[in-house]
Amino acid sequence: MTIEVERAPREAPRRRYVGSRQKKLKGDLFVRGKARYVADIELPGMLHAAVLRSPHAHAHVKSVDVSRALEISDVVAAVSGEDARELTGPVPHFIDPAVFGGKTAEVRCLAVEKVVYAGQPVAAVVAASRNDAEAALDAIAVEYEPLEVGLEPAAGTQGGTLLYEGWEDNTIIHIPFVEGDVEAAFAEAEHTLEDEVRIQRYTTAPIETRGYVADWDTSAESLTFYGACQNPHPLRWVLSHALGLPEGKIRIVAPHVGGGFGLKMHGHPEEALVCMLSRMLERPVRWIEDRRETFLIGGREQTHTFKVAFDDEGRITGLRNNIVANVGALGAPPGWGMAFLTALSFPTGYRIPNQDVQVSIVATNKGPWNASRGYGKEATNLVMERIVDLVAQKLRMAPAEVRRRNFINKDEFPYKTNAGLNIDSGDYHGALDKALAMMGYDDLRAEQERLRAEGRYLGIGLAFELTPEGGDIPGTLVAGFDTTTVKMDPQGKVTVLTGVTTPGGGNETGIAQIVADEVGVSLEDVTVIQGDTGLCPYGFGNYSGRSMLVGGGSAALAARDIREKLAKVAAAMLETEPENLEFGEGVISRRDNPDASLPTETVAYSVLTLAFATAAMVEPTLESTRVYKPDNITHIPDEKGRIQPYPSYSSAVHLAVVEVDAETGVVDLKRFGVVHDCGTIINPTFVEGQMQGAVAMGVGAALSEELIYDDEGNLLTDRFKTYLMPRAGDLPSFEMEHQVTPSPFTLLGAKGAGEAGVGGSQAAVANAVNDALAPLGVTLRQMPLSPPNVLRAIREAAEKGGVS
Amino acid sequence: MITRTLEYLVPGSTGEAVEMLTPSAGEAKLLAGGTWVVPDMTHGRVRPARVIDLRRAGLSEIREEDGHVVVGATATYSEIVASSLLREKVGLLPIAAAKITGGAQVRNFATAGGSACYAIPSSDAPAWLVALGAKMRLLGASGEREVAAEDFFRGAFRTAARPDEMLTGMAIPTPPAGARFAYHKLKFGESGWPIATAACVLGLDEEGRCRSASLALGAVAETPLRVEVGAVLEGSPVTREVAQEVEEIAHRAVAEPWTDVLADGEYRKSVAGVVAKRVLLAAANGG
Amino acid sequence: METKSIVAVRTTINGREHSAEVDSRLLLVEAIRDVFGLKGTHIGCLTGDCGACTVVVDGKIAKSCLMLAASADGREIQTVEGLARDGKLHQIQQSFWDEYGFQCGYCLPGMMFSAKELLETDPRPDEAAIRHALQGNLCRCTGYQKIVQAVSTAADRMSGGTNEEREDDHRDDTPTR
Ligand SMILES: Cc1cc2nc3c(=O)[nH]c(=O)nc-3n(C[C@@H](O)[C@@H](O)[C@H](O)COP(=O)(O)OP(=O)(O)OC[C@H]3O[C@@H](n4cnc5c(N)ncnc54)[C@H](O)[C@@H]3O)c2cc1C
Ligand code: FES
Ligand code: FES
Repeated sequence: MTIEVERAPREAPRRRYVGSRQKKLKGDLFVRGKARYVADIELPGMLHAAVLRSPHAHAHVKSVDVSRALEISDVVAAVSGEDARELTGPVPHFIDPAVFGGKTAEVRCLAVEKVVYAGQPVAAVVAASRNDAEAALDAIAVEYEPLEVGLEPAAGTQGGTLLYEGWEDNTIIHIPFVEGDVEAAFAEAEHTLEDEVRIQRYTTAPIETRGYVADWDTSAESLTFYGACQNPHPLRWVLSHALGLPEGKIRIVAPHVGGGFGLKMHGHPEEALVCMLSRMLERPVRWIEDRRETFLIGGREQTHTFKVAFDDEGRITGLRNNIVANVGALGAPPGWGMAFLTALSFPTGYRIPNQDVQVSIVATNKGPWNASRGYGKEATNLVMERIVDLVAQKLRMAPAEVRRRNFINKDEFPYKTNAGLNIDSGDYHGALDKALAMMGYDDLRAEQERLRAEGRYLGIGLAFELTPEGGDIPGTLVAGFDTTTVKMDPQGKVTVLTGVTTPGGGNETGIAQIVADEVGVSLEDVTVIQGDTGLCPYGFGNYSGRSMLVGGGSAALAARDIREKLAKVAAAMLETEPENLEFGEGVISRRDNPDASLPTETVAYSVLTLAFATAAMVEPTLESTRVYKPDNITHIPDEKGRIQPYPSYSSAVHLAVVEVDAETGVVDLKRFGVVHDCGTIINPTFVEGQMQGAVAMGVGAALSEELIYDDEGNLLTDRFKTYLMPRAGDLPSFEMEHQVTPSPFTLLGAKGAGEAGVGGSQAAVANAVNDALAPLGVTLRQMPLSPPNVLRAIREAAEKGGVS
Repeated sequence: MITRTLEYLVPGSTGEAVEMLTPSAGEAKLLAGGTWVVPDMTHGRVRPARVIDLRRAGLSEIREEDGHVVVGATATYSEIVASSLLREKVGLLPIAAAKITGGAQVRNFATAGGSACYAIPSSDAPAWLVALGAKMRLLGASGEREVAAEDFFRGAFRTAARPDEMLTGMAIPTPPAGARFAYHKLKFGESGWPIATAACVLGLDEEGRCRSASLALGAVAETPLRVEVGAVLEGSPVTREVAQEVEEIAHRAVAEPWTDVLADGEYRKSVAGVVAKRVLLAAANGG
Repeated sequence: METKSIVAVRTTINGREHSAEVDSRLLLVEAIRDVFGLKGTHIGCLTGDCGACTVVVDGKIAKSCLMLAASADGREIQTVEGLARDGKLHQIQQSFWDEYGFQCGYCLPGMMFSAKELLETDPRPDEAAIRHALQGNLCRCTGYQKIVQAVSTAADRMSGGTNEEREDDHRDDTPTR
């Protein structure tokens, strides 16, 4: 059989999608209001659930009587914790502290016998409408016997009010990260200083709250679960345990998710609850969280008490840091682990040979934590950057200079930190210089001088930021690898099914760009499917800035397999060698004779239709599933017993300019700049978008966001009127430059880019506010730098007599 | 989610509204823009059995009436901002109304009347009304009456209006021609609640000396506070020294500061004088 | 339990008349989504703070969680589904897409309506005016920067071109960048 060589029109020079600014795939769905989120799902016969929550932060539950609720005509079911215990097992911990030698506690979807935080679910009602379900909550009678409430870890560490039976104190785990000779470093130090940073409790607050729809199929005895969730496969494992159902009987579908930032990682009691209710009633059941409920989930509350040893030259020789994290009640989501990573990530990108960093992770009667963008590493950056500025201040040295003297040099990579992290690559000095130049640092200092003379308080704050991303925690379903299937159909169109998910960051577009380049098709011909355990290969979803890294990496590997097959067949058809082929957009041509080319469609069609002829040398079907496991992670402990859980370490230098109104304490963020290095960039637009969103979050964390409780443990900041997130008018346009030091350990040279920005911006703003108020002798220790906190610090400094 | 079933009524006149209100006063809620009462219902803070929507009661007009401008109870902030009558006669109001937060979405529907009737300490309108010497017009089954704004605000979420009375309008005496005014609002963030506000109306003579002065603080106490500035200001030009004195007077005027989760009483008291000083200087310099 | 109270609502949504009997407890946003089936309007807080539920009511933007469904009677409403015309995207929609003015898209309908009302009153806003016009809308993903850019691009496109083009702020071609 002879094949006519089709002559495709000569194409324009081949466009490489990777590295270019592409618009979000299927973006028109969103702007037309047609993208569907979980709250948009309607199933026939669907019922609505509402959750009754404890008004006490700590109490025995003496009795729960749902009988009056059941009498209400529109109510279909009402269940207590005791009822739920009959119908479900405990919710397994995503990261069980016991695996790491800590204490653990059983978590159930509805409280049994005891509540440990205000807002804990104690009963649930299912009714024909949400209004009716909510209304019926009032008819449930619960008898509580209040217990002493402990909201601060200090009391907890000494015993005090014990949250869980069998615990001798409320400390979940205590972990030291000690390296070098700290005693000697301090004994020999030319200078030392000690101080404190208290980080408030704050949270992620995506604009879409959580929500779940469970649909039990009685005849198949299987469950379909639609949820605003970041990790469909691991969630399936959780539900399988809680419900006692094989994983094969559970399908998880994540529709479009309205922002996650960690909140939508699993372990929340309502996940198992809606499934249980659906199975019990044999009807679909929906629960959509309300905003007040979202704010019950906290994160990040920590106090760092540190001592620093340093020499005349500004070189830091020793660091002691005692960290106490108030993680609230122990929940099943991976929240508490953040504090572990805070400690692990010291001393970021600085060479500090001797350190003694200890973290105590303590349970209290506040709401549980869930993962929050930055996953604890934001706190490390904030504290390290405050430390460096305090050293600079003490030595009256330029903050940039102290950083230069302590940074890891660019020729020292890969660099092993005190805690055993193996930093892949970077050029911190280069990024710093770039940031100073971009912002016109010297002019800013001159402006500051001028304004100080007028009695105005301009502050300039620098911060370096190191963000370990793409992590793998051994013994948990927090994995550092992922899986993607790439398929090409006989028409040359591509479908990508991947285990990573997107809560909005745009990784589907980036993955499509990679695949389009690898197999040589136009971007419009790639469809990416995510978030459905019924369709996608086993994967871990979205966390730790991993999606492009391992989703993109595995997609590239699978796409290369397809390309290889196409190349073999096309080479045969074009009577040449595969190496002599050029892949364009939907065309494959000979390098030596570009006029000899074939539409990719023809080749794809031939793979299936000429399997016993021209395409006989390849296994038919253009489909490949590949896992990408980046290098650099190792869980085999080194000689010091340390593991290396991260493949990549993105870095950034941030610079904030603020003006502080010293009469009111109000901080005005005037300029903000960042130089960011996340290795190879797949799509600059998306990387910028991630960074801009993270910076805004960090500014909110620095200045206004705080979850505040009353003395009884009730959350007071339960709406956006009191939990103050930045709005457009609160922020300047961020000035931004990229620096690219590709990671030698990842397939594409990319580093994670999703978590970075929160800690760096928070630190730059904190340093800027401190810098502004330095003439008044102010050191701010309590975050956020809200006007009352700032004004109080000014007052206290004045009482102490101003500049020290 | 509103959980309690409610009866929804739309009176076509104030008379009808009063009739609907009278028999069920305790259980009924009037609805102006709804921007406060609706979310309160959603979150179970109020659970009225009857809602009386005033949107067709004919109360949104802003008109002149012998020496006064009467702002109808359901005139929205956007209508106040856009009113040329107000801009000409009571310039403070459009400027202050533009500073209500929540975006155009809120200003397009929320009303100054609703804000006054709700009497949230940390809100804007009460202090304007007090600074301007407004008279609150109330209508009930027993007829109509006027209450001075200063007497209208009785405490946090408490006003002089009886449960069976509704507000029909706010009559604002037209300040003397050439009066200067300013509004200063301290808030946390672009869309935060007022933390401390000050509204000021000044009459100056040709030499820049103060002929009359009215200054009210908002959000610093349960009710707006009129600050007695006449003694220091009248007859003197507005200098930094005078402003300093006003700052101290204002600070002292806050006897029992308002506390909420955004700012405690200590903070509010410590900035009360600052906003008073700033509003005075701004007014003297032309707003 | 009290008997349910039902209110008759006649309203025009995106140019089409609708009549429905709605539960008097429903908020306008709930009715738009659950009674009229237009899911493009989102709920982020139900306290009037986030702006995700923004729609146009009688020509003015409103937060539909601050209104009772019953109050929609006799009113004209536009939702995000009504922004495009005959399948053609409005310039504001196109600009938000082109400039990556959204990530998760949850805040997007509200952002577009705030932008639209701004550009109707101030066709050439500067950055400060754009940021101010977004005061009632929260976004947690973007840091607002690309939203501001999207509004600015929409302003350029809507105030450029011929009169005829201006008459209709919709287009079907994707502008090249
Ligand atoms: C996002 C957001 C931001 C806001 N920002 C601000 C701000 O910056 N400053 C500020 O001060 N406020 C602010 N508010 C509060 C705002 O709701 C009020 O200021 C608003 O003016 C209330 O007016 P309304 O017409 O919506 O009142 P409604 O909610 O309709 O009514 C409020 C109360 O007054 C009663 N009432 C209404 N009309 C009458 C009447 N004629 N007679 C008797 N009683 C009546 C009602 O029964 C109800 O109790 C904000 C609100 C939101 C949602
Ligand atoms: S849902 Fe209406 S403003 Fe948030
Ligand atoms: S794009 Fe996610 S909230 Fe704005």
